[in-house]
Amino acid sequence: MVVCAALVVGPNSSVFTPQELAGKLVALDYGNGTAYAGLLMLEGAMAGESIVTCAATSHGGDRLAALKRGEFEATVLQEPWIAAAEKTGCRVVSTTFFHGTWVADRSVSPEAYAAFLRAVTRAVRRINADKRTYAGYYLRDFPGHPELAGLTPDDFDLNRIQLKEPSPIPEHEARWAWEWMSSWGLLEGRFDVGTQINRRVEREAHAHATVSGG
Amino acid sequence: MQLTIERVIAFNGLDVLVARDEGLFEAEGLDLRIAVPAPEEMRSSADGTLSQPVTNQGLLVDRGEAGMFQG
Repeated sequence: MVVCAALVVGPNSSVFTPQELAGKLVALDYGNGTAYAGLLMLEGAMAGESIVTCAATSHGGDRLAALKRGEFEATVLQEPWIAAAEKTGCRVVSTTFFHGTWVADRSVSPEAYAAFLRAVTRAVRRINADKRTYAGYYLRDFPGHPELAGLTPDDFDLNRIQLKEPSPIPEHEARWAWEWMSSWGLLEGRFDVGTQINRRVEREAHAHATVSGG
Repeated sequence: MQLTIERVIAFNGLDVLVARDEGLFEAEGLDLRIAVPAPEEMRSSADGTLSQPVTNQGLLVDRGEAGMFQG
């Protein structure tokens, strides 16, 4: 799964570009991929000392509500909260995408993981063939949430819904992610691919995960 | 075969949810189960800091109650 993350400001904000967030408070749900995507977007737009963040709830709807109350200048959101934000006048000032990465313990067999991958691959093909129909899933997760009132599958920008058939994580990407996390003090030590990725299980699973047709 | 994963929602697991709802795991002979921590166990990321984040990801894997989570 590829996740879209967006830096969003309120309807009356004077900020139109990510650079204009320098020195302004940005709420991030530390510990979640979306937060680090937000941090990456900020890092690409300003010097490190200009990045000012605070901890926020991992519930995107609650972050959006707090943004509208003016508790911070911007926050990072994922769907369905990006669509909800835009529908209510908030503005996206930057977007990025990142891979969700499956983390498995030693109990997961190559056979079970391969079956999982085959099923997910078929699902990816079905979704990519008809994204509008499946956009409704984003609304099902939060039934009755007031920030989603009036939102329909037609409100979603389908370009933000990106799915890729699962594949092994390239070592250079895993290394880059480790080193980037280390640069923010989140990890210690050097990256060691042998302790982070069980290539034998990964290789066996993907070798049995080939899916033909839909 | 059985596999238990930690909960996903659409933004990070639309493919998994569709595969579950449309019987694609079952068709592969996989009994996929999605585990959810008890509400009282859930910790808020608002209580963390940048260098010491608070997250629920991996909670059930750490306890041996799930085999995979999406990070």
